[in-house]
Formats: sequence, C-alpha cells, structure tokens
Amino acid sequence: MSALAELDDRGPAATDGEIAAINLESARRRAWSRFAEDPARAGVAEAVVDSERLTAQFPGDLDALDRLDALASQFARVDDSWRAALIQAEVASTVHRFDDARDHLARAALLGGPNEAIERHRLTINQACGVALADVLAARRRIASTSGRLEDLVPLGAVLADLELFAEADAVYRQTFDSYDDVSPFPLAWVCFQLGMLWGELMPAPDPNLAAMWYRRAIAYLPGYVKARVHLAEIYASQDRTGDAEALLLPALSSRDPEVQWRLADVLAAQARSDEAEAHLVSARLGFEALLEKHRLAFADHAAEFYAGSGNDCWRALELARANVANRPTRRALKQARAIAGEC
Amino acid sequence: MSDHVDGPRSIGEPAADVSDLFAFTSPENPARTVLAMCVFPSAGEDAIFSNAIDHTIVVRRVTVAGVGHAAKFQPADDETRFSVRFGALQRDAAGKVSQTGVCTLPGGRTLSLTVNDEKGASTPEGDIRVFAGLRSDPFYLAWIAATLEKVPNLLQHDNVLCIVVDLDTRRVLDPAKGSLFGAIAETAPDQRAVTRIGHPVARVDWVGRPEQTNVRLNNPGLFGVDDIRDLWNQQTPFAISATLQPLFLQRLKDSFANWDMRDGQADWTPDALAANARVFLDDFLLFDVTKPITDDSHLEIEKSTIDGRPYQTGGGRTIDANSIDILLTWLVNHDRQFLLGGATGATKPGLKMFPYFATPNSELQTVVKSVALDADPDEVWSVIGSFDLSWHPRVARVRLTGTGIGQLRTMTTLDGKEIIERLEALDNAKRSMTYSNIAGIAASQYTGTLEVRPKGRGSVAEWRVQYLANGLPDIAVKTIVSALQKTGLESLTTRFGVTV
Repeated sequence: MSALAELDDRGPAATDGEIAAINLESARRRAWSRFAEDPARAGVAEAVVDSERLTAQFPGDLDALDRLDALASQFARVDDSWRAALIQAEVASTVHRFDDARDHLARAALLGGPNEAIERHRLTINQACGVALADVLAARRRIASTSGRLEDLVPLGAVLADLELFAEADAVYRQTFDSYDDVSPFPLAWVCFQLGMLWGELMPAPDPNLAAMWYRRAIAYLPGYVKARVHLAEIYASQDRTGDAEALLLPALSSRDPEVQWRLADVLAAQARSDEAEAHLVSARLGFEALLEKHRLAFADHAAEFYAGSGNDCWRALELARANVANRPTRRALKQARAIAGEC
Repeated sequence: MSDHVDGPRSIGEPAADVSDLFAFTSPENPARTVLAMCVFPSAGEDAIFSNAIDHTIVVRRVTVAGVGHAAKFQPADDETRFSVRFGALQRDAAGKVSQTGVCTLPGGRTLSLTVNDEKGASTPEGDIRVFAGLRSDPFYLAWIAATLEKVPNLLQHDNVLCIVVDLDTRRVLDPAKGSLFGAIAETAPDQRAVTRIGHPVARVDWVGRPEQTNVRLNNPGLFGVDDIRDLWNQQTPFAISATLQPLFLQRLKDSFANWDMRDGQADWTPDALAANARVFLDDFLLFDVTKPITDDSHLEIEKSTIDGRPYQTGGGRTIDANSIDILLTWLVNHDRQFLLGGATGATKPGLKMFPYFATPNSELQTVVKSVALDADPDEVWSVIGSFDLSWHPRVARVRLTGTGIGQLRTMTTLDGKEIIERLEALDNAKRSMTYSNIAGIAASQYTGTLEVRPKGRGSVAEWRVQYLANGLPDIAVKTIVSALQKTGLESLTTRFGVTV
C-alpha cells in the first residue's frame, strides 16, 4: 500500500475541532479565574500554563506568551516553593529563554522539587537546544516505552527527526497516530502536523504531496490550527495554487501571527495584487518587530526567515539567525544561519 | 474532588471527564426519579459537549447479598440505559451557534434535545424528560484532602455540563420488581467504531459513587503510590476485571486505613475496613426509590448495611447533599462526629423544579469607589465632568473623536496602554456621565459611570464600573479597574481636600 493510499483511511475519531477550540478557550478563561480566586492552590497555576500553551500552539494566539509571563511573575509573588520555580522554568522554556529556564530548574531542584518533573523539563530544554541528543534520545525511548502516552511519543519522534533518523521518526509518529485512544483532537492534530513537517521540510528528499496530506488532516481535526494552515499554504503556493493558499490563510489572520500576514503577502504578490501584498508585508514586519521586542529568542528563527525572504533585510536576518544559534545551536539553526550568511 | 479531573487521560478531553452522578426523587413530583451526570469540571461560560462521545447513565436493579462484615450488593444483569450523543455545532441564519443531541432511551426510543433549553425534551408518553446544558457545579469541596485543612469551597463559581434524566419511577424502573438500584455514568467513544489498531476505543471515564477515584483510590494522604485512576476508569462498570480486583481492593484497604487515622484515632477494626473496601469496590451509586432520598441520605444504604442493620433511607445523592463531608465523616471517624468542611453549600443551591441544577455562574462584576470631597459638587463636576479625562493622573494623552453622545476617547496611559471608550450618556444637571469600553480592557459589557452628589457642605464623587471579564480573570480586570478608579479619585482629594 502506498503512503498516500494508506492515508485515505479514516483516522481516529475525535471531538469536532470547533467544539474543542471553544472548550479550550472556555477552560483557559476558567483556569485564570481559579488562579485569581486562589493562586497558590495546587494545580491551579499549572492548569493555566497548560491551557495557555495549547492556546499558543494551536489557535496561534501569541498573546498567550505575554499571559504566561504574567502568570509566572504573579505566581512567584504568592508561592516561593519549587512549584513557582518549575512554572518559571516552563514559561521561560516556552519563550526559548533556555538559560533562564535552566536557572529556574536548578532552583526548583534546590527547593526539593520532584526529580522526575525536573528531569523532564531538562530533557525538553536539551532537545530544543540540540544538546547531548544521544542522551536525549535514550531518555525519550525509555520514557515513551514506559508510559506509552502520546505526549511522550511525539517528542521521541521529534528527537529522531533531529538526529535525521527519519524512517524511525515516521514510524513512531504513525504508531502514535494509529494507537490513539482518546477523543481530544489536539494530540491528533499535533501528530499530523509533525508528520507534515517531517515529510515537507525535514526529509532530505521532501514529499510535498504527502506533507500536504498530513497538514490537511491536522486542519481537519482542528480547523483553527494556524501553523498547519501556514505550512500547507506554503506548499500550495509552491505548487502555484495561490487561490487555495489564500483561502487557507484568510481565516488565520485573526490569530495576529505575523507569519500569516507574511505568507499571505507572498501569495498576493504571486497573484500580482501588489498593493494588498505590500499592506500585509508591512503588518508582518510590524508584527515580527513587536514580537521580537517582547520575546526575541522565541521568534528569532522565524523572523530571520522572514527578513531573509520577503522581509528583504539580509543583515537583520543574519543578526537574528546568529542570535538563534547562540541560544540553541541545533542543526537547523546552524543551517539557517549559514544559508542566510551565504546570501548576504 | 468528587470525580473531577480524575486521571491524566480524562484531562486530555475535559468534556469527557465525568465529574459527578446524582440520583434523587424529583422535588416537584415524588412519583418521579431524577438521574443526572455532569462532565467538564470548571467549564467556562461557552463550554459545549463533545460530539465524539456517548454520555450514558446505566441503572441496574440491586439486591442486598450480605450484611455486616459480609456486606455485599449484587447487581442484576439487566440494565436500563439512557445514552446521549451530541452533534457538531449548528449555525442559524443570524450566525447564532447551537448544539443538539439525541438521547437513546430504554427500549430503543429516541428523544431529540437542544442543549441549554431549560424546558428539556419529553417523550410523547411523558414518562421521560431530558435536559442537557451548562449549569452551576453543585458539588462543593472545602477541604485540602491531603491534610484535612478546612478551606472555602474550592469549586466556587465553577460550572459543569449536565445531563438530567427525569423519569416516571413506576413506569420506567418498575420498583415492584425490586426498589433498590445501582447507577453509573460513563463517557465512551462510539463503541461501534473500530480504530486502526483493530479494537474498540476504551471508555474515557466512568463514575459510580463519585468520590471513588479522587478520595478512595487516589487518597492524597498515601504518598509515593502509583496513580491507578486511569486504570480504574477503563474498567467495565458492574464488571471490574477479576485480574485487577485484588489490586484495587488492596488500594482501597490501604486508603481506608489511612483515612481512619487522619484524626489520630482508630475508629475501624481491620475487618470493618476490609468490609468497606469490598463494598466500595463494587462501585455503583445505590438508591432505593421507595424510601426517602434526602440531602443527608447519601451512602446511608452502604453504611447501615456494613454496620449490620437494615437501611432506612433511599440513599442516592441529591444536588445539595454535602457528599464529601458525609464520606469523610464515615471514613475518618465512623460517623462518631460530623466533619464539616469550610463551606456549607455550593455556589448556588439546586432548584426545586426541572432541570433542578442551578443556572450557570456568569454574573456581571461591579467595582465601586467613592470619595468625599471638601468642595461644591458643581466645582468638582467642572473638573471630572469632562469626557477627555485630562484630570486623571494615569492618563498620558487623550485623543477625542466626534462630539456629543457617541464621542470616542482614545487614551494612552502612563504605562503605554491604549484604551478606547465611548460616551453613552451625559447629564450635567445631575452631574452624571456614563461611558462604555470599546477596547483596551479585557472585558465585555463594560460600562462606567461617574457621578457627583452633594454631601453636607461638600460632595461625594462616585465611580462605578460593571463588566464581564473577557480574556482575563475577573480579579485581573478588577485590579486594573480599581487602580484606575483609585488613582483618579485620590487625585481629587489632593485637588479639593477631603471632608471628614
């Protein structure tokens, strides 16, 4: 059976993506209310972090990062235990302030925080920074085989891909997808997105059609999945399907993710709609700069890509790419910096 | 606590997390029995049922098969099922969103219903009426379970999604054949669907007696033990795996021994603890439709039977029952002294009429501040009656757009925030101004009113704001609003002086 034919099978059933998105927002707001009522109560601040991270990851609400920063500082004012340090570490890690995250983790350990949680965070940071990946892989294999949970299997697939063990990464992702036995669409959409990235961007010989299939499936599970829309639109644009790309991007504009504006500008430019393209390009530039002002390390790589492309500012791109390498010297980061340096 | 957030798996889809189960006599008609299940703990105002799940309440007739230390309740094989499946969202011509569902009743009849329709849906025969929708969470927990420290209700202002089945007791349950029943509620993906690995997806969550997972199996006082709640949740109700029964039984014994010693006093013998463990291992909510079910009767059937005497009440679980304190009192001191937590009721009490569960919590918040000033009201109004808010020390600059009612002010605060507000009403004779917020504050239905009233030889300036937090918690919005009010009014005291 070919990979594409196999994908024609229906995937696991899940709650409708629109319902799930409404319920996520509902739970997110309520988590904040509970935090306001009793910020120190066990599990309450952690629930806010969980819902805000999902909100940033899927609906692409980047204001979630500001809210997470606010949460971490508010929580630290009412709790001086390892919980506050762990939350600060998670928030710092989310916005790619990995040095800060390591400091917070060290403090959490000193304050008697649970070793398993601290080690999991440390593993995530090392993986994001491309540090000691062989050790990360061994730990990911051990954790995934013990728990069998999706949230442990997907990072295993990701580190396999980082190490360019693409066939195994693909197998892990597919097994994760096939064996899913819950009804939340978020994990399914996440796995589909990872498979799209794997086949569309990471493989030495990308298969855009297969990648597009996985992105479409991610969007089918979660229509508001902004990153999946952006990546699929890129593929469509590269295949001269600019109308389809535009249709994908327009509903994602409300997320205020500047990458949406940027890709839409490219699509409109390809349709010779120069004025509209220019307006979106200006918005994208303003959006990236605003994000960089607040969360420079979190958006350095994306902004570098923007400035190296339609943003048309090679030196700004190089400066950002170098900042990204300094923060997390992964293979992808190095590759990006070299490519940009070669263009300048 | 109840069954709220009772395992990592159910956290994945909160709308599949069964938080509670109820069985009680209808307060508006004693000939009817009400069964109800709740899902989605801490649901926000917009929460919606999952469309990928069957929400089912199952009832089986039960007999008392042993008393005292041999206490046992034996369920029959036949069961009565009420199963609700909801659809995807629908939009009418005006774009208003709604959700409908279909309840499959005993005998295969079906009943279509609309979510949040308080009238519910009834069968043509009138024997069954069903409601589904968002309501105030009736459960209240006012303890830190690990330490038994009293605290205010930890679920205050929470909402849940409820499914309420109101049925004609005689026609549907036929108590002449036996009046004692056991109920469970479960959420499960469509069991007919076969996944790609070739077996049906396991249920997500189920509940018999609601505190089974979070209090009895996962006693927070037992440190360093495995969390077996997901394993429990995937058991088949009324048929716990024979292989796993010893595991669960031992955990219940350990848990009950721990609970017994929470007050430093042993109120249970080992045999009695073991009897409790066996009874609670058979996990279904007992209720007897021929005896009174009251706010105090929860668990009375189990407790009397374990103590070796006939039960007197209908047990069950009412909306207003203090369930957690009833259970803790039994486990900790064998009903020697009632343990009352830090709250005596939920956010809202239950209703006496269908659908019995109180309306969801969504009240407008109000913040009022005032200051007594040593100045004539007109003098004060000449300053603060100006819509441009130039008198306010937190406002760095203001841009006005338009004139009169509908005028907009775009303010930049000293810390760089931009707030846009619209003038809604202005009455200089009454020294009153009302405005609404358009942008810049995370709230909807935001209305502010500034008024100056005479008081003695001076005046009182009052600033009142109402809002529904939107995007930030109430307290966060309240902090922002209070700070604006406080700074503004305090600046007036400097300018005009204060009256004592």
